[in-house]
Amino acid sequence: MKTTTKPVAAVLKAPAPHMVGDGFRVHNFFPGGYKINMSPFYLLDYNAKIDFSARNEPRGVGVHPHRGFETVTIAYHGAVAHHDSAGNSGVIYPGDVQWMTAASGILHKEYHEEAYSKSGGPFQMVQLWVNLPSQYKMTKPKYQALKHDEINRVEIPDHGGQIEVIAGNYQGVKGSASTFTPIHVYNARLHAGAKASFNFPATYNTGFVVIEGKIRINQTETALTNQFIHFSSEGEEIEIEALESSVVLILSGEPIDEPITAYGPFLMNTPEEIQQAISDYNQGKFGFLED
Amino acid sequence: MLEPFKEYLQKKVAITDEQFDLISHKLKVKTFSKNEMILMKGDFSTQGFFVLSGLLRSYSIDAKGKTHIIQFAPEQWWLSERNGHFNEPSDFFIDAIESTQAILMPKDFINEAAEIVPCMNPLNSTMLNNAIRFMQKRINMLLSATAEERYLDFIKLYPNLTLRVPQWMIASYLGITPESLSRVRKDLAHKHFHP
Repeated sequence: MKTTTKPVAAVLKAPAPHMVGDGFRVHNFFPGGYKINMSPFYLLDYNAKIDFSARNEPRGVGVHPHRGFETVTIAYHGAVAHHDSAGNSGVIYPGDVQWMTAASGILHKEYHEEAYSKSGGPFQMVQLWVNLPSQYKMTKPKYQALKHDEINRVEIPDHGGQIEVIAGNYQGVKGSASTFTPIHVYNARLHAGAKASFNFPATYNTGFVVIEGKIRINQTETALTNQFIHFSSEGEEIEIEALESSVVLILSGEPIDEPITAYGPFLMNTPEEIQQAISDYNQGKFGFLED
Repeated sequence: MLEPFKEYLQKKVAITDEQFDLISHKLKVKTFSKNEMILMKGDFSTQGFFVLSGLLRSYSIDAKGKTHIIQFAPEQWWLSERNGHFNEPSDFFIDAIESTQAILMPKDFINEAAEIVPCMNPLNSTMLNNAIRFMQKRINMLLSATAEERYLDFIKLYPNLTLRVPQWMIASYLGITPESLSRVRKDLAHKHFHP
């Protein structure tokens, strides 16, 4: 079958930011900012690059629960330390990805890493919420901590840069993280003038975030730093060209065709499951984590 | 804007749409931004609040500067400072914990409404009785219940507030220290967390 170009539906600028705790100044592209269908991606919080001043007491967000989905944190500048109720902890440095499957429930907290907090400086992160289909919502929580230099990658010819395959696959190279449904997540790091092409099924929901630089898409549209490119659910082929040295977060996934009931940090199918999640959280069934 | 309040009333009393229209012209809807101070101690309160969305609280501050939360008012809750009914200055502060939309109700609203719609009278006494019952229970809990009992009662009354307010506010409402609340939640997790 002949493939066709996947057209750009809209190039969206970052909505007004809000604070998550005192450590994350995020632009919520969806579901709050724009009413676009990006399933299986439910939420995209984008902390555009800003400078935090030096501080001894790290900024961040205190203990909170999650159930029914996965949080994916992708660091570009700065560093985030995290702890959870299962006893896991770690630091997410620039280029690293933390793929946390909250599933049946976890408590965690996220703070600026101590040394970064003390020095201050540029901070830039993405947090995605990836929905889970009903049969996996109550499975056991787990972590995939991907270090930048261990993430599988594809070299772009003529020293054009690299595609880091965080999840899914790109040109036969498998993503470093495993997923529950078909999802592609890449960091494309392109030098000025480099081109890269992507091929996703027409029915997949697809969007790119320009983390840095300026790109041309399908030889027609242009997108700048901090903009989100939403694609139509038709066509397969996307070509981007870096008009200057650029970093682009690539997201594409098969929609999860199930009802969603969302409340705060919970993403379930029905209101009853949300009530259950609140009750379980209140009764300590997510465990305990010191603030 | 008043539609949710009308539905709330119609669940409790046989009030028609026409009757509601007759009494509702004195009501105002107001939006308060997060952390907005609504009533200061010493002010004369002239109105009560019915919360449509968001979260209000009433509280006092003691001589040492410590906050004591009297009541939370999330969606569909009433919040009224009662000294105003006796033309006395308020003992409490009221502010918005979240961005809040509330109906402002003049303090003589229910009496005036009852003249037009008599079924508002029994509703008024039922609601007052319920508020007194609630406060008697709260006094009893504060005098006699353990920290865990207070917390378990709280999550029954306000199931989702644990996700909406910081721990110290819950501790303040329960009359326990944040450390005690943390201990209670840790003990509950020991009992109920089976990874």
